[in-house]
Amino acid sequence: MSDDLVLARRDRVLGAMAAAGLDVLVLGRQDNTGYACGMRRLWTAGTRPFGAGCIVVGATGRVHALSSWDDGIEPPMSFDDLYPLTWNPRIMAESMAAIDGLAESRLIGVDELTPSFQRAASHFAPRAEVVAADNLMAGVRRHKLPAEIEAIAGACAAAAAGVDAAVAARDGADPAAAAIAALAAGGVTVPSSGVQAERRDGGLAVDVGVIRDLYEGGVGGLFVDSRRAGSAALTQACRADASHNDLSTAATSPDWLVRGLGMGFEQPVIGPQIGLGEQLEAGMVLSVSDGDRRDVVHVTADGAAILSKRL
Amino acid sequence: MVDLRRMGAQRLARLRDQMRAQDVDGAVLLHDPHVAYASGHVGAAVDASHANHRRAVAVVGPDGPVGLHAHDSVDAAASSVAELGDPLWPELDDGAAAVGAAVAEVLGDVAGRRIAVDGITGAMARAGVLDRAELVDAGRVLGPARVVKTADELDCIDRSQRHTERAMVAAQAACVPGATRSEVAGAFLAALRHGDPDPGSDHRNVIDPIFQPMPARRDGGPRTSTGHVAFPTGVDDPVFAAGDLVWVDAGVGWHGYMSDFGRTWVVGRDPTPAERSLFERWMAVLHASLAAVRPGATLGDVGRAARAVEPEETPWLPQFYLAHGTGLESAEMPMIGTDLGPGFDDGYPLEEGMVLVFEPVVWSDGVGGYRAEEIVAVTGDGWRALGGGHHYEPFRT
Repeated sequence: MSDDLVLARRDRVLGAMAAAGLDVLVLGRQDNTGYACGMRRLWTAGTRPFGAGCIVVGATGRVHALSSWDDGIEPPMSFDDLYPLTWNPRIMAESMAAIDGLAESRLIGVDELTPSFQRAASHFAPRAEVVAADNLMAGVRRHKLPAEIEAIAGACAAAAAGVDAAVAARDGADPAAAAIAALAAGGVTVPSSGVQAERRDGGLAVDVGVIRDLYEGGVGGLFVDSRRAGSAALTQACRADASHNDLSTAATSPDWLVRGLGMGFEQPVIGPQIGLGEQLEAGMVLSVSDGDRRDVVHVTADGAAILSKRL
Repeated sequence: MVDLRRMGAQRLARLRDQMRAQDVDGAVLLHDPHVAYASGHVGAAVDASHANHRRAVAVVGPDGPVGLHAHDSVDAAASSVAELGDPLWPELDDGAAAVGAAVAEVLGDVAGRRIAVDGITGAMARAGVLDRAELVDAGRVLGPARVVKTADELDCIDRSQRHTERAMVAAQAACVPGATRSEVAGAFLAALRHGDPDPGSDHRNVIDPIFQPMPARRDGGPRTSTGHVAFPTGVDDPVFAAGDLVWVDAGVGWHGYMSDFGRTWVVGRDPTPAERSLFERWMAVLHASLAAVRPGATLGDVGRAARAVEPEETPWLPQFYLAHGTGLESAEMPMIGTDLGPGFDDGYPLEEGMVLVFEPVVWSDGVGGYRAEEIVAVTGDGWRALGGGHHYEPFRT
């Protein structure tokens, strides 16, 4: 990952903190941590309990992260910006106390709240109020930088190689296993939504969602005689200023979803029962599902640019 | 044979025992393992960003069905204790009011009542969901409920471990000079889909499988805060070379229950006498530890038994443990030898039904280290192994 992208994202986070009057940001979400400092770590599935995975301090401009080693971190972060993994809350409190600017902070933003973190914060930052800042991160991530668009297109190409391999699998072979092997041959073993493949409706319904270098890519469809079925109308409707109504009118399946895609699943989220007040904006990148068919698009001033390979 | 209905009913009874004992009136659960324990529902093994947005939510009252709201399909037998409601979007401001309504449907007005919760999203906070309740961490009721497993839970871990071991045969065959980590991982992930003894209840991979070539010296890898080696880093895609000592670590869920596979492989050649000696010492640590495992023995007793055979250096990685539990999470209590310290270990007695995954490490600087994992359940008078007794090739066949 380029140093410029790591720095550009961090500057966006620091800028949003300053605008919101936040002294400190404590991030528990792995994707938010990746955004703030570019850190890569071992992938595990599913939700995680909230904890201080990453701490951004406005006054120093430094980003600190939970890790016992310096593998997977990106400049300008260094070993000195890390605090080690511990099972012991007392040791964690000592690590917090050693972070410049945390003890005297007045307003701490978090991307999730728990009763135990509220208690802990009253010790390591006794004068601070703890507030939800998930929407600050969602807001910053909503519009993509050019280098992010490139990274997403690369992840989409990796996902497409998985779809191609599934479609090429002979009758009797397991198309999902073929997709998994093809992805791994391209160096990709981390799923976003993963590989789904099912023979039905006279064809193969396949969807592949992966994460490559922290960014998500995906593509899917029902393939009949190796050609993708379904309508591209919803994809084409993803223009700047498109409303919930515009999207729901364009959708051809009751099972449709338009949602942000970047360092994983992001906002906005627009579907039959959700996101009724949302409006698309130029700069967003969206995963657009209409039944089995899924593409990734970049909303530009000139319309929807498809980032997933045209299958 | 696992009885999913019985497992669900017994888990919920244990959770409610803890709620009663701690005067907790209700639980609002958003963390996957908590939702699974209370409701039986196990979602797809997807990235956390997907799991966070498409969260399953379980609401538990003192009696009656658990309120379950899930985006993924729900297995009727596994979730027989639950009543299914509409999917929720607790991450979105748009979805917060529906979360409040789902809580009220099971618990009524929560004002002034003691409610266990494992996470409050920003949207829930802004909407004031749970604002007037007295909140406690859900781990306080889930933790003690989960630590002793039912017979069905132990069977799930056993099944998951055996399936993981089968898939590792393909991975080990692929781990040859010139292969990349991701190719070996791909062989493992593809093999997980084959030979599932119970089609329809698939095994779900929950950790990007680790095949990490280890340095021969402690200072031969990334800089660490412990002075020992960095493991598992999980961020690179190395190419294996002949003679690499590869530490293997993988976890797969079956009905949510996690296997934990660990071995050390040697790429492209037989182990040297010095490497074999590491393995023999590792086996001695395992046997000494297991000899101390019985109900009533403390975690401290087991840790001391392990240290007694390796008096010069603690035979496990300093940032981790000699052993940890497994269940709906791949590293849960009881943990032996962590930085919680000897006081914690000496105050924690083993009970029948607890699970221990032993993962000692024996290191000799310049030679490298041997690491593997073995899962046991504590029985009435000792322990029994879970999994199929996977081989230790190339160290012992």
